[in-house]
Formats: sequence, structure tokens, C-alpha cells
Amino acid sequence: MVLRKDQLEITLHEENKLIQTGKLRDDNPLDSSDSFHQLCIATRKDDLKGCQEAINAGANINGSDRFDYTPLILASLCGHYEVAQLLLESGALCERDTFQGERCIYSALNDRMRNLLLSYDYSKSTDPLQPLAAHITSLLGRSEPDTSDITITSADQSFKLHKFILAARCPYFRKKLAAAPETTAFKLPAAIPPQAFSIALRHVYLAELPRDVGGGPGTGYSEREVLDGIDKLSSQLELGNLMEDIIGVHNRRQARQNRTSETALGRAQLETWFRENVLRYKVTIDSDKANEVKWARNNAIFADILLRADEEVNEELDVEGVSENTTLPKMNGIPVGPMADSTASGVNMQQRPKSVLFPVHRAMLLRSDYFSSMFSSGLVESQEKPHLHIVKVDCTPEVLEWILLFLYAEKTDFPLDIALEILFAADILFIERLKSKAALVISTLGSGTLQQERGKLNSETLATPATPTKDVLDPFETLRAAWELRVPRLENFVARYFAYRLEQYIDLPEFADLIKESAARIRNREETDTIEIIDDIRHYLSERFRLRFEGEGIAELLDEGVHEDGLAGDINGSQQPFGNSAIENGLGHQPLLEGEIRTLDGELVSDEFESDALDYRMLLGKIEILLEKLELDA
Amino acid sequence: MSARGRPRPRAPRKHLGQNDTVDAKQCWEELETSLRQILTRDHSDLSFEHLYRNSYKLVLKKKGDLLYDNFKELETQWLLSNVRPYILEHIEDTVISLALQNVSANSADQKKLAHERMLKALKTAWADHNLCMGMTTDVLMYMDRVYCDEQRKLKIFPLTMGLFRDQILHAPIPSILYAKIPEPKPATITVLNVLITVVLAQIELERGGDIVDKNLIRSCMYMLEGLYETDEEVEDTQLYLTHFEPEFIRTSRIYYKEEAQRLLKSMDAGSFCRHTRHRLAEEDRRCGPTIPKTTVAKIIEVIDNEMIREAIKEVIGMPGSGVEFMLDNHRIHELRDVYDLVSRVDNQKKALKDAVQKRIVDLGTTINAAAQMTAKQQPPKPDGENKAAERPVNQQTLAAIEWVSNVLSLKDRYDLLLSQAFREDQGLDTAFAESFKVFINAFDRCSEYLSLFFDDNMKKGIKGKTESEIDALVEKGIILLRYIQDKDLFEVYYKKHLARRLILKKSASMETERHVLVKMKMEIGDSLTSRIEPMFKDIDVSADFTNGFKKYQKELGDSDKKDGELEIHVLTNTMWPLEGLSSKHEAKTSQCVWPAVLDRIKGSFERFYLNKHSGRKLTWPGQLGTVDIRATFPLAKSTIKTRELNCSTYAAIILLLFNDLAEGEHLTFNEIQMRTGIGGSDLIRNLQSLAVAPKTRILLKEPMSRDIKTGDKFSFNAGFSSGFQKIKIGVVAANKAENTIERQETEKKNDETRGLIIEAAIVRVMKQRKQLTHLQLTTEVSQQLMSRFALDVAMMKKKIESLIEREYLERLEDTEKPSYKYLA
Repeated sequence: MVLRKDQLEITLHEENKLIQTGKLRDDNPLDSSDSFHQLCIATRKDDLKGCQEAINAGANINGSDRFDYTPLILASLCGHYEVAQLLLESGALCERDTFQGERCIYSALNDRMRNLLLSYDYSKSTDPLQPLAAHITSLLGRSEPDTSDITITSADQSFKLHKFILAARCPYFRKKLAAAPETTAFKLPAAIPPQAFSIALRHVYLAELPRDVGGGPGTGYSEREVLDGIDKLSSQLELGNLMEDIIGVHNRRQARQNRTSETALGRAQLETWFRENVLRYKVTIDSDKANEVKWARNNAIFADILLRADEEVNEELDVEGVSENTTLPKMNGIPVGPMADSTASGVNMQQRPKSVLFPVHRAMLLRSDYFSSMFSSGLVESQEKPHLHIVKVDCTPEVLEWILLFLYAEKTDFPLDIALEILFAADILFIERLKSKAALVISTLGSGTLQQERGKLNSETLATPATPTKDVLDPFETLRAAWELRVPRLENFVARYFAYRLEQYIDLPEFADLIKESAARIRNREETDTIEIIDDIRHYLSERFRLRFEGEGIAELLDEGVHEDGLAGDINGSQQPFGNSAIENGLGHQPLLEGEIRTLDGELVSDEFESDALDYRMLLGKIEILLEKLELDA
Repeated sequence: MSARGRPRPRAPRKHLGQNDTVDAKQCWEELETSLRQILTRDHSDLSFEHLYRNSYKLVLKKKGDLLYDNFKELETQWLLSNVRPYILEHIEDTVISLALQNVSANSADQKKLAHERMLKALKTAWADHNLCMGMTTDVLMYMDRVYCDEQRKLKIFPLTMGLFRDQILHAPIPSILYAKIPEPKPATITVLNVLITVVLAQIELERGGDIVDKNLIRSCMYMLEGLYETDEEVEDTQLYLTHFEPEFIRTSRIYYKEEAQRLLKSMDAGSFCRHTRHRLAEEDRRCGPTIPKTTVAKIIEVIDNEMIREAIKEVIGMPGSGVEFMLDNHRIHELRDVYDLVSRVDNQKKALKDAVQKRIVDLGTTINAAAQMTAKQQPPKPDGENKAAERPVNQQTLAAIEWVSNVLSLKDRYDLLLSQAFREDQGLDTAFAESFKVFINAFDRCSEYLSLFFDDNMKKGIKGKTESEIDALVEKGIILLRYIQDKDLFEVYYKKHLARRLILKKSASMETERHVLVKMKMEIGDSLTSRIEPMFKDIDVSADFTNGFKKYQKELGDSDKKDGELEIHVLTNTMWPLEGLSSKHEAKTSQCVWPAVLDRIKGSFERFYLNKHSGRKLTWPGQLGTVDIRATFPLAKSTIKTRELNCSTYAAIILLLFNDLAEGEHLTFNEIQMRTGIGGSDLIRNLQSLAVAPKTRILLKEPMSRDIKTGDKFSFNAGFSSGFQKIKIGVVAANKAENTIERQETEKKNDETRGLIIEAAIVRVMKQRKQLTHLQLTTEVSQQLMSRFALDVAMMKKKIESLIEREYLERLEDTEKPSYKYLA
């Protein structure tokens, strides 16, 4: 069902006409900004980190460069699967029946890419903001738990609404409520049909507008009256786009664009509101006094619950704790995590721990299943008290802020360094979307050095001693988190991460422990002979070196490497006694001569291919040895 | 390697204590206390956050097993030590009351109270359990979603449901109570058994008219619906479906079986049906508010079976109140009940159909008998043989009219019943028609009577009626005609009666006559009407002849005023059943002596006619014609002495004799017969109309009596007077219905005709098929003849024999079944 070329051209022509007359916006406007350029470059280079950074920096993911390429087309053309996936997940459009969309699918390097693109066709994929909009819309009809704090009556219908949404979305109510925040009931002039108000409300609550405004026989109002009412409301409540959106509802594409921009606007408004109110009124207080804070139920920012997050204890202590813990738990077998700190309360007596209280709205917290259950559980948190409940969330204030930002405004551009924390928090709070976002962030931003490594494996990396401090994330911990929190994507990522710099990790005792753990995990479930992490690493390892060869030659080369047991064994054998030191030597002390090509263990070889083949065999061999040592079959 | 620094992405684990074992135990202890608080409904101070964190910690630290098992143990213990005693405590009275099943009525209330107490206890326990488990599930959400999924363990909620089932419902009752159960004892009695028994008892109470707490029962049913046989929660293993419903159906079956037997003895049929309908509605109402809606089909099926399928036959046949009674007394509502009930269980509605059919045939037979009675009423007086011959004839017409109208009113009544009580049921409609056919055809004079009905209506009945009324009347006649099998016999009679109407101009409206004909054609087809239509044609042609003759006379110029005018009917001999109009053994019509006046006209027309159609022979049946005569009565009291008389041709001939007589002279019967040559019975009838009928007594008879005897003397009644200028003198008692002898003759003749038709049909079929078995041949022939008459098998055999004799057919010897072959 691909369009013919002439059909495409006609569509394109008509589209251009519409855009020129200003009826439609260009989906892919020319973008010559720096951040967009960065995005394009990163896309070309399969630089996941770069992409994520550019996206976080606010590059228009659907823009086009001066050659009329969108990032997605670039990724599709180059076959960078992960990048394309990232772009699509971040809202890049690939819509059938549009010129750029078809172009993108045409140019897909392989079937895998093509299928990926097709699976994200507009009809199936959603606007990244859609979940947020859907949640807000659902608040309109949600009665359990009851989160509404104002009732607006129009004629004989009453609507149970949320002050903070009204205030965030609608300037009129913002002013009204600022003047009298304790209002709990409001009456609209009788002249306005309830249907009109209902539609305006749906607009405020980011719902899709109905194709038919209602009215007509039996409703008491004519369609005309309803439309007039909407018009009146839209100017009175200062809902600028409402009328326009109502009118544009019949053109599918225009309606979609309107909706996209409206949700974007709504998101921005909520974010602003969140920053200006919730964040502004957050309270920092000594932890031991935190629970004594009393917030009145009637407050100016309409918060109906307080979330508490405790500051991390002193940085130095923390570091100490970590260094202890990285070694200690391993003795006990399964480490619960390097961060577990026993000393926080005991040691840190002189420094009073601080807590931060965020005044927030249950309506938004409901996006988390955890809070949703909490507020309808019948336990203390769901009971109405004169003062707001304080609910403690097990994370740092910084993390909680990001979580709230996600819940209120779907913001996910958090930095890598707290991504893992967010992942854990999202898991405990049952926010699946945030969890996958965090995983996405880790697997993109975290892969940063991957690209560098691949290109400069033999020169710079080897030349400059790998300084682990430069490493932005700890793969061991990440993998354990992935296991604990059931994030396969992250498991794959870590395997890939290991594969691309296996020489750095293969000889670490932690690595062996990790493999043991992985094996144990599987034994727990079923009797199979594979060790997941090893399989994955092997897979990515072949990917890493395969990229160095053209066509089929690699298969033969690899076959040689794998099947010639003698040779492999020989290499293994020779490596075994001085495995670690050899690397250390290679990495640390042997200065590399210009122009010389050496393998990872420092042998001199004639060309890069040979070097890669040898490297590959050597690494595979090391894995075998390791497994033997661990007495594991794989 | 220790140089590796702290990785920047940190995991938020501060809250997890380092010492696993102690912490896990502590976590669980805290959780346990809180969960207990939830169970005791003392949860208002518990913090969700706190509880959740504990369960989260345990799961994340791989202590899910501990949490899961401990939780299970806690819940089991709770059910065992708190809920179960509570239930058993409340079950005590109930079990005792169940044990003492046949105690006097004063304990009935106590029993009911005990039952309700038990149901309430279960309801409460179940509601509490659900509420607590809902909360617990929330609190243990992390374990539920993560640990249970990963370890493929049963989720908390189904787990606790299973516990409730095992610990509460499947709990055996204490042995003390068990001892009180009367023999024979079931192996074990569980709470579930008691519950089911109690609910069934409650339902039975409700059936008995008591008011029970529906909501209470429904709650318990919800419980059974929410619990499953196994932990897999397969949809069709709901305890409700596996335990309660079969028992409910079983006891209901017994209940309704007994009720049906009881009511059959004590109730009349109408009440029984009403009651059954009431029961149906009641059970339907019960499903939904009291027990689940899904049972409705099954319980209704029970009633259908026990109350209807098993009993309805008896109900229908119930003497004094069954269907017969309802039909006779026009109990439309009761009949509708019966119909509705029967149609629930039997699409054919056989029982009802049979009953109604039987009734129709019975009533029809009564009508037949009544008609025969009417026909035989006023048996011929011993004296006056001639008159005696006429009496039953009149009576026949009366009987025919009565019979037809009785049949029609019966038909009307059943049509009404069909539409009002039997919902226009197609099958019953057919069955009704079948029954009508049966009794109508059982009446051997049906064809004749129907024809007489038409005859009567054509002559008198339709006068002064609107078109639609006439239509309805015709329609009714046609309906009856539909039922009559021997249509050929009807044809014979109809032709005979029609001929009389046409010739004697007795028909009230030619238009209606034609209308009837068209209707018949539509109903039966050409076979009947093709031999009637020519009669109408003859009548039309005759009108032309009359006009033509008038012209002819004028042209001829010899028209004598005295001759009068002639209106002529030229009738095709074969099409008209003329012989039926006069008795066969009467003198030939042509033998009559025509007076000169008439003879002249007759001669003149014969010349005219033969001129046009040479080689034909005209016969003049005098008894069929009429003559207008102007007569002067000198001694009449009124001022105008002349009257115009319209009388039959024979009467005119007779009257003309008296022109030649002097005043005071008279003629004897024998003289008249001699001088006119009119046959005996015709003469008698004409004389009767002239001398006996009081209004048209043109002749005086000596002696004055009703009967004409050969020695009677007749003289002109010069003093005759009448209020009318024109007087129509009818011929007494025209031969409307047949007497027995005639009918036998008609039938004999009809049989002959049939024989020919059958032979023709056989030959037609055989010519086409060449070879057929006897059975096939019979079928085909009877099919061909269906529209005309019902094939008589004996006659058919005879005809086949005859055809074989005449070598049209040959009997095949070597075939298994008797077969015939056509001989070309």
C-alpha cells in the first residue's frame, strides 16, 4: 500500500499550497539552528548520546536541514536502528501518506528499519504528550478517588473540576482564583448552554474536541447557540485557540496539528504553573521536623497533599559509604546495592538532615499506580484531614522534582546522573512510562563513549589509560538495576556497553561476579544452558567487529576464529597466565608508536582487519576462560 | 581497579537497611501488625506509604517468598481462627432447624430467623473479607505485580479468595452439630452445603408466598459467583455454577413436579395455566434480584418440563374445564394461556391441536346431525302422496341454509379464537381447516347444501344488501367450497340450481352471479367453471336472438298484436342440466298441446332460428317458460277489472282453456290433462299455484282442499281480485332440493362421470410414464384430481381393471410391487 510517485507529488503539491496560504503548518520546517545541526550530525554518526542531548536541548525533532533531510530520514538512510527508535520514541513523525513519511520509509536501509518505521505510523503511535493529555481528560470523569476541589454549575449541569488545572490553563480562572482561592463553587451565566461549557472544559482538560458540538433538537439549544456560547466562553475565559480548533476539527491533518500544538501549549502551561507554584512553595526543613509541618487544606496553590523527600546525607560520607559498600556486600553474596548506606542517620549527627516538602495535587499524582492505590486505599492517606498529609517518597528531592515534572508536564530531559535513581523511584511508584523513559535516557546518554571507543579503539583509548572516573555510569550497577527492575532494554544496553569495551572489564573480578549472578538468575527460572549476559555480549561483540568488515568476508574470518580451536586455544592458553597484567601493560605502560597497528594485547599486526580478527578471537577466548574458571557452561 | 570512582548515577537505596535478615523479619513483623489491623478493620491510622514500603523492601531484597508465605499463613490463620468460628456460631441454629425439618409451624418463624442470621453472617464475612483483601492487595501491590508475576505465583486476590473458599465455605460443620443431622447423613457437611440448603429453603419459602430477604440471598450468590473451584479461576467453575445451580435445578424440578401433580388434582385447567404462567414470571423475576441472571434459561426449562410438558396434555383434556370447556365458553384468555404454554414446549402444539380439532369435528358432526334432523322434521303426512313429495324438499332448503350458516358461524368463531387466543398460529390455522374438511366431507349432502346456500342467497339473500355485504357472503360460501372435496358433485348441483335461476330469472343480480363465478374460478380453477361459463354465454346469446327475432317479425310484417312478444332462451343441451328440471319419467315436453296463439309464435321463431342455424333442433320445454297474460275478472270488486298475470307457460296453457268456457262451466283434472297434454306432476303443481295458493287463486277448485286429485273440478274465478295490477303466479315448490331418490340418481350419475374422469386421468398418466407401480399411479392420479374430488381407491382399482380388460394397460408380472405398463 505504498503510494505511486505521481500520487505523492500531487499530495505534496496540495500540501505546499495549504502551507503557503497559512492553513497548515509545515510539519518539517527548515531548521538552521545549531542544536538541530548537532542533532543531524549525531544522527548520521549513530551517536545516541548526541541525539539525546540535542533532543534535550530542544532541537526540533521534526525539522529538516537545508538538504531537506529530517533526522529520521537520516537515521533511516544510514540504518541506525537505535537512533531511529530514539527519534520515534521522542515524537519524530513518520506518517504514511505524507511526502516526508513515504520518503522516510522508501529510504530505509533494510527491512528491520522499515518495519520499525511502519510500526510507528501515526495511527498506531501516539503523540508523546498524549498520555498526559489523556490523564488530564480522564480527571473530568474520575470520581474515585475524588480529587476535584471546585464545582462549576452551568444551567442544570454541574462539573466537578480542579482549580489548579483551571488556573494553569485559563487566564480568566487564574485571576479569579488568585483573588479568592477558597472558592469551591462557581456559577456560569445561564445564557451559556451547558454543551458549550462542556466543550470549553474538554478543551481546558486537553481532550479531543468532538466533531459535532451538540445542540439541536431535544437539547434545548440550537447548534448555533452552542457555537455562540463557545465563542463567548472562548473570549471570556481567554481560551485563544478554542474557536479556531472547533472550526478546524473537520480537517484531519489540521485537527491533528491543532491538537498537537494545544497539548504542547497545555504541557507548557502546566509546567509553568508547576514551576511557579509547586516549586516556588516547596519547603525545605529539618527532617525530624518535617512531619510536623501543617499546611492548611485551603491554600493558594490548591495543593491537597505534601510529598516529602529527604536530602541525601553529606557528600563525603556518602562517598565513604559507597566505597565500603562496593566491596562489602559482595562478600555476602548477592549485593543489595552499592548505595545501601548504614551510616546515614548514625554518623551524621551533627549535620541535621534536611527534607523538602512539595505541595502537590493528588489529581496529577494519580498517574502513578502507587498513588492511585494509595488515595483509594481507605488508609490514612485517603482520609480527609484539616491539614495536608505528608507522604514520604524514597528519593532525593532532586529526583522527586523530576518525577513531579514528569507527572505534571511529561518532562523527561533529566540528566544521566540521576537517571538510575529516577528509574528506581519510577519502579517503586509504578510509573511505567517514566521507567522506560529513564531506561531510554540511560541507554542513550550512557552510551556516549561508545562511539568514541569504536573509532579510536586502537589509538587514543589505548594510549591514554582508561580512567574509570570518566565513565559516566557504572555498568555493573546498571545491570543489576535492570535485573531487579525488569528492564530488558537496559540489560541489552549494558551488554552492548560491555561488548564495546570488553577489554576494560573482562578481567575485573566484578565482571566474573556479574556473570555468576546472571547464570544464577537463569538457574532460578529454568534449566537452560545459556547465560543471558554472555550471549548478549557475544552478540554485540560480533556486531562491534562485524562493522569493521565489508560483506561476507567477515563470516569466513569469524568462522576461522571460532572453529580453529587449536589456534583459539593457543591464544587463550598464552593469555591465561598473564591476562590481567598484559592488559594493564597494554593499557597503561606501553607507549604506542605512530602508525603502528597493534592488537589489544599489544601485538603488532599488518593491518586493521587482521588486528580486529585477532582482537575478536582474543576477547571471545577470554570469555571462554572466564567461564571455565567459573565452572559454568555456556 | 579500586581506582574506579563512584559512578554518578546513584540508586536510591538509603532506606534499605544493610542487615538483610533482621530487617526482613522486622519488616514482616511491622507488616503483620498492620495487616492484622486491616483485618480487624482498625486501619484508619495506618499509613499506606509505610506498609507499601515494607512490602517493597521485602520484595526487592528477594524476600518475596517470605512475604508471600507469611502473608498466606496470616490470612489462613485469620480465617481459621476468627472468621470460621463466627460463621459456625451462626450456623448452629440453622443446622438444628434443618435437622428438625418436619416440626410444627410455630418453629417456622424461628427457622426463618435462623436462616437469615446465617446468611447475614456469611454476607458480612464475605464483605469484610473483600474489603480487607482489597486493601491488602493495594498495600502489597508491589509484591502482587512484581514477585507474583516473576515467580508465577497466584496473585494475592485470587489467593485470598481461594483461602476463603477452603477455610470458610468448605469448612465442615462441627461434629456436635453433625450428630444432630438426621439419617441418612451425608459423608461431610460443609458450610457451603448448609448455605445452599438454606438458600434453597428460602427460595422455597418465597415460592410459597413468603417474603424473604432477596438482597441477602443475592449477596451470598455474589459470593458463590466470585469464588471458583480451583485457583485458576476458570470462568465455568464458579462455585455458583458447580455447586448451587445444579442443586437449585434439582430441587426445583422436584418442587414443580410435585406442584404439578398436586394442582392437576385440585385446580381447573384455566387456573392451572394461570398459575403456571405466574410461576414462569416469578422464576424469571427471581433471576437477577435474587439469583444470577444466567440461571434463568435453566430454571424456566424446569418449569417447561415439569409443569407444561408433563402436564399440559392432562390440562387440555381436563373434563369440565379443559380446552373443550374453554372453546365452548369462549374463554379467550384461558385459551391464550394454554396456547402460550403449549407453544413453549412444543412447536407443533400437538396436544392443543388435537383437542381443538376433535372439538371442531364434534361440533361439526352435531351440525351435520342437526341438519339431518331439520331435513327430516315434519315427516310427510300419510295422506296426499303428491304433497308429501314436496314437503321434505322445502325442508331440505331450510336444512341447507341452517347447515351452512351453522358451519359458517362455527368457522367465524374459530377464526376469532385463532386471532384472539392462538396468536394467528399458522399451524393451528391449517389444523382447523383440516378439521373443517373432515366433518364437512363427512356430511354426504355438503355439496348440495352449499349449492342450495348459494341458490338461496342469489335469489333472496342478497336483496337489499350492500356490495361489501354480498362480497362477505360470497366469500364465506367460497371458504366452505374450499373445504369440500367432491367439487364435481358440487358442480352438478350448482349447475342445476344455476340453470333454474337463469331460466326462471330468479336470480337477484346477474352481476353477483358472475362475481361468484369469478371467485370460484380463482378458488378452484377452470375445471369447475369451464362448464358453467357457457350457460352464461347462452343467456347472453339468447338476448340477441330475442332482439333479432323482434326485428325479424317486424320485417316480416305479419306480427300480430295478439301474438304478443317472445323472449327466448336458446340453451345448449349438453351444458344445461335440463333433465334435472323435469322428472325423467314425465311425458315428453313436446307432447304438450300448444294453444294456437302460442303455437304461432313458436312456429315463427323456429323458422327464424332455423333460418340462421339450419340443421338444429329446438325443443320447447314448456315448464321452463313464463307467459304474461292480461285477464279480465268481471266479478272483481275493484274498479279495474283487468289484471296482468305472469305465470309459467303451462299455467298459461291451462288458463287459455278457460277462455273457451262459458261462465259457470268447469273442467275436471282429467279433462285439463287431456286437453293440454301436460305431464302429471307439472300439471299438479301448476294447478296448485292457480287454484290453491290464496293470493293467486285464478281458478276455483271443487272440492276446496290443498291436494289436487284426479277427480277435482276447476272453474274460472271471475271474482278474483288483488291489490296489485301485476300478479306473479309462481309454480308451487320448485324442485329445489332433491329427494332421496333423486339424490341417489345424481350420485350415481356423478360416479359415472367420475369413473370416466379417473380413467382419463389414468390413461394420461400412463401414456406419459409408460410404466408405473400401483402406488405411484394412485398418487399421481389423485394429485391430478385433487381439485375436483377425493379419489376413491376402490373405484380406482375398478377402473384399472376395466382398462386392463380393454387393453389400455397391462399388468406386469415379474416386478416386486404391482405395476402396470401402458399399451400404446
